[in-house]
Amino acid sequence: MNAPLLAIEGLNLRRGATHVLHDLTLDIRRGEIVALIGANGAGKSSTLQAISGLLRPLSGRIAFDGPDGAIDLTRLAPEAIVRAGVVHCPEGRQIFRSLTVRENLMMGAYPRTDRENLPAELDRVHELFPILAERAKLAAGSLSGGEQMMLAMGRSLLSKPVLLLLDEPSLGLAPQYIERIFDVIEQLRSQGATILLIEQNAAMALEIADRGYVLEHGRITLTGTGADLARNDEVRRAYLGDLG
Amino acid sequence: MSQYLFQQLVNGLSLGSLYALIAIGFSMIYGIVRLINFAHGDVVMVGAFASLAMVQAGVPWSMVAMLALVIGAAAGMTIEAAVFRPMRGASQVTGFIATLAVSVLIQNGALLLLSGQQRTFQFPAFMRQRVSLGGVSASMTDVAIIVLAVVLIAVLLFVVYRTRLGTAMRATSENLLAARLMGVPVNRTILAAFGMGSALAGIAGLMWGGKFGQIDPLMGAAPGLKAFIACVIGGVGSIGGALLGGYLLGMAEVLFVGLLPPEYASYRDTFVFLLLIVILLVKPSGLFMRHVEERA
Ligand SMILES: Nc1ncnc2c1ncn2[C@@H]1O[C@H](COP(=O)(O)OP(=O)(O)OP(=O)(O)O)[C@@H](O)[C@H]1O
Ligand SMILES: [Mg+2]
Repeated sequence: MNAPLLAIEGLNLRRGATHVLHDLTLDIRRGEIVALIGANGAGKSSTLQAISGLLRPLSGRIAFDGPDGAIDLTRLAPEAIVRAGVVHCPEGRQIFRSLTVRENLMMGAYPRTDRENLPAELDRVHELFPILAERAKLAAGSLSGGEQMMLAMGRSLLSKPVLLLLDEPSLGLAPQYIERIFDVIEQLRSQGATILLIEQNAAMALEIADRGYVLEHGRITLTGTGADLARNDEVRRAYLGDLG
Repeated sequence: MSQYLFQQLVNGLSLGSLYALIAIGFSMIYGIVRLINFAHGDVVMVGAFASLAMVQAGVPWSMVAMLALVIGAAAGMTIEAAVFRPMRGASQVTGFIATLAVSVLIQNGALLLLSGQQRTFQFPAFMRQRVSLGGVSASMTDVAIIVLAVVLIAVLLFVVYRTRLGTAMRATSENLLAARLMGVPVNRTILAAFGMGSALAGIAGLMWGGKFGQIDPLMGAAPGLKAFIACVIGGVGSIGGALLGGYLLGMAEVLFVGLLPPEYASYRDTFVFLLLIVILLVKPSGLFMRHVEERA
């Protein structure tokens, strides 16, 4: 009765000469954190790019049952997809280095029409990441890697996500930042956010996730609850560095 | 200050104002599509001829100035929609050839339509008077160019650095994919950048015509090239660099002509290109750039 928030069905995607996603099927229910794990080049980022409209699939459907009713995201441009509430926090952070920290945050809020709510939400982002308030007027390129990740997440939050797509938020960060980022993910969940999380750090991702999918060479090979996957022998061997 | 020095200063500033106006547009366009718009100088020509036609039709001068902005913007936006947009994502070489082709097309179209003959372009009498300022004097035309340029540049800087549209333009220039993920309609934003940059080129055409008194269909080559050099001086893709580069180039040119014996005056462009070569050799990222940021 309760349709999933996002349902991907039979997604096929080509990049250049490579067929990178094969009949990918995956769903995300409201309020869940879903982890997508897989080796380098498995097609995790490509999946997110197809959802956010940066890549056009060959075939398949991406049904999003958002506040504006059910829509097929494969028919929409990225700017319309953000407006519908699907917000993609991309691999490598992709902050605007020459813009100030504040300007980066305001870019997150760019498409919103309810601008009267922005000051309060900006305050909330500053509460989550106080450093962003301190550095508001500095060029974003002057931030450290961890601070840039916080900026990228803060920017995504100001886009008012109904579904947040996070691509390797912990990549290349010092441990204290990783913890901070995962704390925030937990906090977002407790506020009812729905998140699709890609992580290098499969152990942490499965620990925090309600459910997970394993992607191998563009095919989903395993799915289950985070705890089940973390106990699965194959997963342990391939992604959790368990040699036993 | 002696009249001679003052005259040189005013000359340099007014020439520099024209270069700066044209260079800023050139730089905005390069910044956002990463392609050199060879047709930018031809937009200056379009602005000049459109202004001449309006003057001949009896349109009042203040209206001519407003419409020169609008016509410049329309010309630049047409070039973006017809040529640059279909080329989005193509290689630099492809883009290079396409914009060169647009320039040749506009020039030859203008030659067919208007013939290669030079036209006299005259500002109204009050603009050709001299204004005195405590012992020294300058031509009204030069003063008007300097003042108008400052106003236009201030408005442009305000839009680019203080408005939502300007922030989206800078974000798109830096990282187009990330801007799309923020919900920025990038095609519309790029169109706006072409419109703003080309509006400045359009009105520069009017001022160029008034300052030099003659216009012809191939007149865009010189301002296009000078704008390019101004951008190289200041650092390609930076608005502040184009601004400083434009004024610096204008001053340097006037100083060169003013300080050397008159028989060297015809080497003015030789000097400009020598300057270009030296800068490319010594500081290819521009005099005012600390380092070149690679696009992510
Ligand atoms: N811009 C591109 N053009 C062509 N092929 C690409 C491009 N980017 C990635 N690919 C290919 O698509 C496949 C999937 O890449 P993708 O980036 O989605 O993997 P990933 O699972 O996110 O890997 P990683 O863990 O390294 O981020 C790979 O085979 C890769 O070589
Ligand atoms: Mg990836």
